Amino acid sequence: MTTERECDQLLVERVQAGDQGAFDLLVSKYQRRLMRLVSRFVHDPAEAEDVVQETFIKAYRALRHFRGDSAFYTWLYRIGINTAKNFLVTQGRRAPTSTETDVERAEGFDDADSLRDINTPESMLASKQIAHTVNAAMEALPLELRTAIVLREIEGLSYEEISEVMACPIGTVRSRIFRAREVIAEKLRPLLDFPVDKRR
Amino acid sequence: MDTNKKLREQISALKDGALPEADLELALAALQGSDGRQAWDLYHLIGDTLRDAPPNPAPVLSPDFHARLAERLAGEAPPLRRAAIAVEPTSLAAVLAKSASS
Repeated sequence: MTTERECDQLLVERVQAGDQGAFDLLVSKYQRRLMRLVSRFVHDPAEAEDVVQETFIKAYRALRHFRGDSAFYTWLYRIGINTAKNFLVTQGRRAPTSTETDVERAEGFDDADSLRDINTPESMLASKQIAHTVNAAMEALPLELRTAIVLREIEGLSYEEISEVMACPIGTVRSRIFRAREVIAEKLRPLLDFPVDKRR
Repeated sequence: MDTNKKLREQISALKDGALPEADLELALAALQGSDGRQAWDLYHLIGDTLRDAPPNPAPVLSPDFHARLAERLAGEAPPLRRAAIAVEPTSLAAVLAKSASS
C-alpha cells in the first residue's frame, strides 16, 4: 500500500521528470488545505487566494531542489506560511513576532470585558461566545504562536512535522503550542466561571 | 518556569500525544488536581472550537483559480532535476580527458 507521503513523492518525481500534469494533481489535492491555512493569516479572500497562487508558483520553481527529506505537504506549508508572512510585511501589516508582548496583545482584546458582563451561566456557556473568544484571542496571538496552534489543531500535524514547517526545534513547537493555549485559555476562564489560580 | 506551568505544558503535550514517556506519570498525576484537570478541559475546548467554528465563512477558492494558476505555470520553466536534464555527452569525457592530460 502506498502512503500519502509516498504518493506525493511519486508525483513530485514525475514533475521533476518533466510531467507538469503531476503538479496539477498536487495543486488539486492541496489548494483547499493551503487556502484554509493562509486564510488564518490573510483574511481578505482575494488576497489569500493570491498568496496561495504565489505559494504554488514558488513551490513549482523550487521543486527541482526538493529531495523528499521531509513530506511534500510540510514543505509546501512552509512556503505558504513564509509567503503569507512576506505578504503581510509588504502590505504594511507587520506580522507580530514572539519578541512582542504576546500576552499583553492578547489581553488587549476589546470584547473580553463585555463578555465578562454576561451573567447567566447558560449564556456564558453558549458556544457562540466561546467561539468568538477563541477566535479573537487567536487573532491577537503573535504569528509564531498562531502558526503552531493552527498547524496542530486545524491541520493535525505532529510536533515533528510542525518543526519542519516552522524550521525550529520540537521543544520550541511544544512551547509555542502551550503558550498559545495558555493565552486563549486565560480568555476563556471568565466565561466558564473557572476559579482563577493565583499561583499562575 | 513554575511547577504548575511546567505541568500544564506537559498536559498540553500529552493532549497532542507528544509527551515523552518519562514525564507521563507526573502529567497523569497533575490531571488529578483541579488546575491540571481545568487545563486539560480548556485545551480540548480550544481545539474543538478551532476546528468547529472558523472565524469567517469557510475560505473558498474562486472557480477560475485552477485555470489562472495553470496559465501562470505554463510560462514557467519545468523544475527538472539534474538527473532528468539531458547531460551534454562530452562533459564527462572532456573532464576525464583533461585530467588525464594534466
